[in-house]
Amino acid sequence: MKYGFAFFISFVISYVSKIFHLGAGATWPGEIALRIDPDFLTHSAKYIKKGVIFIVGTNGKTTTSRMIGKILRDNGYKVLTNESGANLINGIASSFITNPLVLFNKTDFAVFEVDENFLPKAVTVLHPSHIVILNLFRDQLDRYGEVDSIVEAWITSFLNNATTTHYILNADDPAIAFIGKKIHKSKIFFGLDEPSYYIKQMEYATDSTYCPNCGTKLTYGGSYFSHLGKWACGSCDFTHPNVSFSAKDVVSCIPGVYNIYNSLAATALADCLGIQKEIIHDSLSKITPAFGRYEKIIFKGKEIRLVLSKNPTGMNESIRTILDQKKSGPIIFALNDRIPDGRDVSWIWDVDFEQINQSSNHIITTGDRTYDLAIRIEYALVSDDSKQKRLEPIVDTELAIQTAISTMQPTDTCFILATYSAMLDIRKIITGKKIL
Amino acid sequence: MKKPLIIGWLYPELMATYGDRGNILILAGRLKRRNIPVHVLPINMSSTAEDLKSCNLIVGGGAQDRQQSIVITDLRARFKDILADMFDRGIPGLFVCGSPQLLGHWYMNGDGNMLQGLGIFDLTTKHFGKNKPRLIGNTVGKISTDFQLAGLEWKDTIVGFENHGGRTYLGPECQSFATVVRGNGNNGEDRTEGAKYKNCIATYYHGPFLSKNPHIADWLLVKAYEVKTGHVLKLKPLHDTYEWKAHNYILQRLKI
Repeated sequence: MKYGFAFFISFVISYVSKIFHLGAGATWPGEIALRIDPDFLTHSAKYIKKGVIFIVGTNGKTTTSRMIGKILRDNGYKVLTNESGANLINGIASSFITNPLVLFNKTDFAVFEVDENFLPKAVTVLHPSHIVILNLFRDQLDRYGEVDSIVEAWITSFLNNATTTHYILNADDPAIAFIGKKIHKSKIFFGLDEPSYYIKQMEYATDSTYCPNCGTKLTYGGSYFSHLGKWACGSCDFTHPNVSFSAKDVVSCIPGVYNIYNSLAATALADCLGIQKEIIHDSLSKITPAFGRYEKIIFKGKEIRLVLSKNPTGMNESIRTILDQKKSGPIIFALNDRIPDGRDVSWIWDVDFEQINQSSNHIITTGDRTYDLAIRIEYALVSDDSKQKRLEPIVDTELAIQTAISTMQPTDTCFILATYSAMLDIRKIITGKKIL
Repeated sequence: MKKPLIIGWLYPELMATYGDRGNILILAGRLKRRNIPVHVLPINMSSTAEDLKSCNLIVGGGAQDRQQSIVITDLRARFKDILADMFDRGIPGLFVCGSPQLLGHWYMNGDGNMLQGLGIFDLTTKHFGKNKPRLIGNTVGKISTDFQLAGLEWKDTIVGFENHGGRTYLGPECQSFATVVRGNGNNGEDRTEGAKYKNCIATYYHGPFLSKNPHIADWLLVKAYEVKTGHVLKLKPLHDTYEWKAHNYILQRLKI
């Protein structure tokens, strides 16, 4: 009774606010529902017919959820998602409220990307049928604590969880493989298993290079990025698990090694659900990037690519991916330090901005921390005067974009690498609205 | 060819939690931009006592609990006396983030376990576990004119970000590095920030502390050169426009 009341009230409020354009309502209808009925999520989950799927990990959650959602829908299923990236408790509750058809038992699957810290709680209230774990990097330490303690909390949560949950795990990430070793439940592994993707030199922003099992330094046959790769421990029995799905099993039409991992995770999950290979391939070949994930926007006749880059590993991969395109045009780096970005911007010193020396693109920094970023890039650039002139800090983001656009040739691309709230600000400037 | 200034980087693979390598890039970069030869020497499990003794400046970063206990075991077993002697001779050091814990008498972690420190600084650190919140946020401190260098731009403030669970308490023998203007400092109670012993600085400021504090970076370099050669080094000023703008941005934001 309380549940129905909570659903009704929050639905009406979110509906009315939509009519009067009072906001996107990604999180607060859920907040209201949870205030009225603290068990709102557990009650809602009962209406999902076939299963609740969680996507977790530091990087790639939104894109992978989008891929899985598309595969399932193309396969004729009714799917509920929290696609706008609202991955805390209130965001997930809101996704039920804005899709009231759930109550008529019409929804087959719920696909939720779940915040790292909220995962243990989410497991107990939503009883997921599948958990896909992508990777774990340092991200917003001021909010989360350290990688080691997250792994510990997850293992505890999974050990206490029902045995019916299936785990889809990234074997190339030693910390994720370690979770697989500890939980002894239904699990499959995916990994690239493709030496041609190895990077030449290990990146600086590398977290788990020590064996999670015995503490010995891991050796790598090759690394794909950060600590993801063909790792091995020389001193204990913990080994890289055999993978059921590897790079040769997938298609990815969004650039970057990241997206091969995302496609791989989506493919493994879909296969788990018995979906045919042809349908999976077909869906993935038609996927378009999620907002701010290498998203293409035409602004004043010029091509802009928006790339969310919110932590060292993500930023390294973004830089690597855009430089691989060998496009001419300006590159804007936008750094904010608000709650969704992480208030500590120290992480920019873990990014290998030195990669930029391979190119000659004009570089603009902007956002709340324009100058922190300018200092970092100044130290990264090989110090001869002509190269120093490439760097231009512009605090006002609108002015930064105008400056970039004004220098562009018709065939140029302007890449914008931005933290979360900076990306929303930029979307507002170039599309007039913050999200989709 | 002059012999390069050697910066000893303590356990880069174990103690570099969050942008800590920035301090190394900045110190080395500031020497390179002035055409002064520099060499960065990682000090780790396979380093010898001679390696450590060859350093003119010592830099340490933060670590997760597991890594910190590996580091401290190795330091205590092999390098404790050497480091103490080096700092006694005035060789400068910069320890950020969790490393004040390392340099004191002891550190009690969140589980109540006692970890012996190097005892170089007269200070102790206690983590109260979940009973007390972490001390997190942008922070500003006031430093003394000891850090002022002739001919170089100077400010009596330092700015940065702190994020620590442990609370440090200075003993009677110990001088603080700065006085808290905004933020929490060592323990959120006595307005002290970090510690200073001769030319060695320990601070709770996080990660790339020197990026917005170029005056401290140059002070460390001048001291390192002085102990190495016996001469005072006159450093050429650099264009620190971005550095001071970033510094002033924090002052402004915290309404100072």
